[in-house]
Amino acid sequence: MRRFLFNNSLSIFFLVLFLAALVFQAIAGHADFNEGQDRHGDPRISLGRYIVSSEYGTAVLENWQSEYLQFTLFILLTVWFVQQGSPESKEPHKAGRESDEEQKVGEHANKDSPRWARVEGVRRKIYENSLLIVMAGIWVASWAAQSITGVTEYNGERLDHHQDPVSWAEYLTRPDFWEKTLQNWQSEFLAVGSMAILAVYLRQRGSPESKPVGAPHHATGPEG
Amino acid sequence: MLLVGCGSTERPDDVEAVAERFGAALEREDGAAACAEVRETTASQLEQEQREPCEEAILRLELPARSSAARSSVYVTNASVLLVEGSTTFLDEGSDGWKVTAAGCRPTAPELPYDCELED
Repeated sequence: MRRFLFNNSLSIFFLVLFLAALVFQAIAGHADFNEGQDRHGDPRISLGRYIVSSEYGTAVLENWQSEYLQFTLFILLTVWFVQQGSPESKEPHKAGRESDEEQKVGEHANKDSPRWARVEGVRRKIYENSLLIVMAGIWVASWAAQSITGVTEYNGERLDHHQDPVSWAEYLTRPDFWEKTLQNWQSEFLAVGSMAILAVYLRQRGSPESKPVGAPHHATGPEG
Repeated sequence: MLLVGCGSTERPDDVEAVAERFGAALEREDGAAACAEVRETTASQLEQEQREPCEEAILRLELPARSSAARSSVYVTNASVLLVEGSTTFLDEGSDGWKVTAAGCRPTAPELPYDCELED
């Protein structure tokens, strides 16, 4: 058990942190929502009602979709795009999908390679792109879910102000949807871009996200 | 998360029933019954503006009497009911159920709020 916890400490820690943040976001969001209700002279709602509301759903999903878009783009673009000197990048001469030998697939796979890396055909094609497929799928699904919770929240506000509600399709053209989307996208892109360039010149001893402390700035790819 | 935010299908029958009860009370000139269907802050606003009790002030407004609901929209704790006679009633949901917050509402310009005979 201790070995299991140690070997999976990174994912376990972030899972616990995620769940805690989700709970505290619900508590803070519920308090903030009811403050707004008081300001408008509208009735307060319970915490249980809040966590199944479109307000909470939108607040959670707009962040999920941008995180998964960040990873989707990062996984995809790092196949071909490079950043000289960054541990987040491949070396420039390795840009592209690389050879079967370099990727250890098919006849070049090892005995302990994943089964679908050893086979030929559609299964290997799927597995070769499985990380991108799943990340992109979660991004699209969470963005779609954001639009559904978002139109519900948006229409609730419109009715509160004695305006007609809009359809889901109409909501996709509204500034509210794009403002919620883009406010998250800009921060994700900034984080990835700054990580890629800062890691060229800065170090964190012991982290696989950093080059070794003594590695030269021009060295691309090697991690600590 | 898939269950969150699907507010547009919840309880349209409830809001239509409240809007129709409100209209029925106005038709039989029962101001007290009509005010009982109105949110407290909306009723207080009416009393302040008209300088008389809600049950008297509400009968002086040009509000539609009995009219069936043609269509309703419900999102979270807010709703609207389009009446067959053409006006719209807005409601919100509190601890005491759905209450009227605006009535006798007609559209003005696109994207602008409705112009209402009774509102908070």
